[in-house]
Amino acid sequence: MKTFLTGLSLALAGVLAPASGAEARDLLVTVARPDNLYVIDAASRTVIKDCTIGAEHPSPGVTVMSPDGRIAYMLLDRWQNVVGVNIETCERVFFARQSEEKVIRRSIASLAVSRDGTRLYTVRNPVRHHPDHYEVMEPEFAVFDTAAGLDAKPLAIHPAPRRSTLMAADDAGTVYIAGHDVFAVNPETGDTSVAIANANWDRPTYSGPDVLAFWPIGTQNDEFMLLYSAAVFTDEKKEEMADFVWGYESVDLKTGETEIKDFASFEVIMFSAVRNPNAENELYGVYTQLSKHDVATGELIKRVDLPHTYYVINISSDGKEVYVGGTNSDIGVYDTSTLERIGEIQLPSGGDMSVSTLQIVQAE
Amino acid sequence: MKPLNQKADRVLKAAAEDKMDEVRAMQTVTAGCATTFDPGWEVDPFGSVAALCQPMEADLYGCSDPCWWPAQVPDTMVVHPDWDANATSAARDWRALGSVFPGDSNT
Repeated sequence: MKTFLTGLSLALAGVLAPASGAEARDLLVTVARPDNLYVIDAASRTVIKDCTIGAEHPSPGVTVMSPDGRIAYMLLDRWQNVVGVNIETCERVFFARQSEEKVIRRSIASLAVSRDGTRLYTVRNPVRHHPDHYEVMEPEFAVFDTAAGLDAKPLAIHPAPRRSTLMAADDAGTVYIAGHDVFAVNPETGDTSVAIANANWDRPTYSGPDVLAFWPIGTQNDEFMLLYSAAVFTDEKKEEMADFVWGYESVDLKTGETEIKDFASFEVIMFSAVRNPNAENELYGVYTQLSKHDVATGELIKRVDLPHTYYVINISSDGKEVYVGGTNSDIGVYDTSTLERIGEIQLPSGGDMSVSTLQIVQAE
Repeated sequence: MKPLNQKADRVLKAAAEDKMDEVRAMQTVTAGCATTFDPGWEVDPFGSVAALCQPMEADLYGCSDPCWWPAQVPDTMVVHPDWDANATSAARDWRALGSVFPGDSNT
């Protein structure tokens, strides 16, 4: 496994930890073509680790971090396998092959780690390949031991909602799954309930919501947040539209409390969004524009055009910078007070990030 | 008799391999990889094109990797897994992204 250092060779010599204090710094983690896991020192805009993953294919590069920030768990190999890599050493420490010879199991961005780091969860969609046709089987909620090593098999498999995408775990152990509704799953028993009604929401003057949920960001803010868009009508007859709105559905991963709220009119597309960890009312959304919203007042504070479309956004732990990534091979850095582009990081491979996640962790 | 499509061709192979008991009529199964059925690149949510991804190359693998626009881009998830093998950057290497044909299919 190749390890390639740029910049200071001691960049990751220290202990990675959920650090705090003046010496803590932010690291960005992302996946790019052809086969690379990148660790980037956010402040210096420097790639400090370039790990060759050894994947069959880097898509989708959906990535979640262990709670201590040391392990990047990636959904790879055309949405099938889960690979865990130590970002200090580039060593592969976890591998779960989900498919079998005749049964292909793909997870559509459904990947999460428990808050104590001991369990990894996926929802996978099995399809049995027969000689002339596919047999669509029931979706599975799979529970893995993160210490299971390089031939990890599920500890347990429970029934799962169909059409599942993003997942996240809270402090109490509940696992949330974004699907037609946001579901809450007890991973010990498989018991599933609705945490936030989404497709089934009770909003008589609204259309159904449209939710794009591909990027498992926000965990560092202890938040599982999805954006939705929906038409709002003047009355329950739904004959005259009053507005088309953006809103968010959110689960507090510390308390399990949920919230659903409109915050803006639908003027531009946003693929992902993150809140300022130090000012919860500030929400930053990205696509071909970068937008800064005040969700408390409904005010659009500022919006700027970007050089090209970006899919995914994340924010520094001090809330002073946002990072936009995905799509091509550059990560843009923006000042959160001005939305001015103040830096960028070019990935050495020059390969596309496509739909990869852009995660952020703190290191000492 | 000659098979006219891939399904019929596979039925013939199944007969030759004594697996006809596993064959199903098409209407009883769901086939294909598309998890979404968006209309495609033609229009954005506002009925125009200005809000589509810019430039198109920024979005190319975001469409092929998840089968997002299966009609417009070969999907690398199931049917054409090696379509992007020689093009790590869609913007730089687009000349290496060729057309695909049914015979190239992995399914």
